[in-house]
Amino acid sequence: MTQIVVNGLLTGGVYALVAVGFSLVWGVMNVVNIAHASYIMLGAYISYWLFHLYGWDPFLSIPVSMAALFVLGYLVASVVLNRVIRYGLVMTLVLTFGVDLILQNAALILWSADYRSITPSYAGASLAVGGVMIPYVRFAVFLLALVLVVLFSLFLSKTRTGNAIQATALNPFAAQLTGVRIDRIYALTYAIGAALAAAAGSMISVIYTIQPQVGNVFLTRAFVITVLGGLGSIPGALLGGVLLGLAESFATVTVGIGWSQAVSFGLLVLILVVRPQGLLGRRFFGGVG
Amino acid sequence: MAQVPAAKDALAPGKAHHGTAAPQRQESPLLKVEQLEVAYGEVQVIWGVDMEVYDRQVVALVGSNGAGKSTILKTIAGALKPKAGRLIFAGQDVTGQSAADAVRRGIVLVPEGRQLFAGMTVHENLLMGAYARRDGKRAIREDLDWVYSLFPELVRKRGQLAGTMSGGEQQMCAIGRGLMGRPRLLLLDELSLGLAPVVVDRLVEIVTRIHRERNLAILLVEQDLNVALAMAERGYVLETGRLVRAGTAEELLADETIRTAYLGI
Repeated sequence: MTQIVVNGLLTGGVYALVAVGFSLVWGVMNVVNIAHASYIMLGAYISYWLFHLYGWDPFLSIPVSMAALFVLGYLVASVVLNRVIRYGLVMTLVLTFGVDLILQNAALILWSADYRSITPSYAGASLAVGGVMIPYVRFAVFLLALVLVVLFSLFLSKTRTGNAIQATALNPFAAQLTGVRIDRIYALTYAIGAALAAAAGSMISVIYTIQPQVGNVFLTRAFVITVLGGLGSIPGALLGGVLLGLAESFATVTVGIGWSQAVSFGLLVLILVVRPQGLLGRRFFGGVG
Repeated sequence: MAQVPAAKDALAPGKAHHGTAAPQRQESPLLKVEQLEVAYGEVQVIWGVDMEVYDRQVVALVGSNGAGKSTILKTIAGALKPKAGRLIFAGQDVTGQSAADAVRRGIVLVPEGRQLFAGMTVHENLLMGAYARRDGKRAIREDLDWVYSLFPELVRKRGQLAGTMSGGEQQMCAIGRGLMGRPRLLLLDELSLGLAPVVVDRLVEIVTRIHRERNLAILLVEQDLNVALAMAERGYVLETGRLVRAGTAEELLADETIRTAYLGI
């Protein structure tokens, strides 16, 4: 029982990190960013190649994959996404879906569909606490994910640029009138979302096997978590991530691993019926009053 | 015509100008709008508008609903791009500037319908107003104190989400946010819309006080001619995208056709 909870919590940390960037882009830009899946995948592959070619520890390559995807995200937003953002949700959905297809297929051509994994020396080690096994890697990933989410949350609430992002989320027209250059804020928000996806991807590469489609299953989870926690809400993403981790963990043990997706979407439907603004949705954010 | 320094004196009744509302003086206007045309896609809504606002002057733009008053203000504030014509601000051609640039030059719009950041507190809204400023924390702090002194009711509500306040309080917060940008030219769009008369009276009084204490130029748009001309010394009358009259507040209030058209008397 305790083991199930621990497993759920540890997985939940990564889920939260996967969801934060996705939730941010959705909440601020009203863009459902399908390409988030590819950014996770690219982050994972960057860590994989740095490990295999140069022997970099995957935890050390996290800043590299974050920086690379920040740049890619900034380019995608400023070169293409900003041009269509005023045409609404469907248009941007199609665009990010296109970006996702291009990146995934490029990865398929470049790196084939082979399953790959990173196996640092400490991969299998775990800590036993009163009969509960805590794998070191998963625990480190969990803590790191938490640290990133908290740092990001502080950035949004404490810095001038973070405040401008929140203002743009609430009212882009008014944000312009106070002097915010919203094109830049959109590009920056999208780039941060991609960088957070990359960080999650790097961590995923240590825990799971990866292949060009590795991001897709995490994208659906990010979607569920965002709706569960509340659009654009960071504490919501954290809570949603942990809840989903726990729910999947319990489902795996009780009804079998094949049902974990069903549990995800069951949770999604339930929350939409009971509390459509999400568990920790903030008032007036994401168009929910 | 005599050169008189104060705008009010220069425009005293009897010395009225016809056809132009610009006072005769050598000082160049703070804002000059030349042959402005604005279109939403294919639909043109503003036709050949010429306007001038001098430093430290309060000017009203009046007209019925849908005449294009807000469109002109938004264009001056950079939120809309003109189709043709020029905007000159402080001697500089600023035609086609972005809203973000306009704020940095000192043109601040308090938009119609308040447009507050509903999910932020009153205090956060006011601070966002100072977003583009580069003159340091201390100057911003001083302006914040000044805004709170203009609107004491906002002090008690500083921690409240802006979207949960009454219309009058929201309007005060919106004006305060605009003032936090330290404007040289303040654009006020439909200050009185949807507010109780007693609240409108108070806002009129405060706008007058703002003008007196900060000596800034104000261009305000109003549907209510009485409210507009209570604050302004000069006015322009807009009808379906074209200027039809211009003059001093006294002239416009005395004009039978305007009174009939806009006051319903």
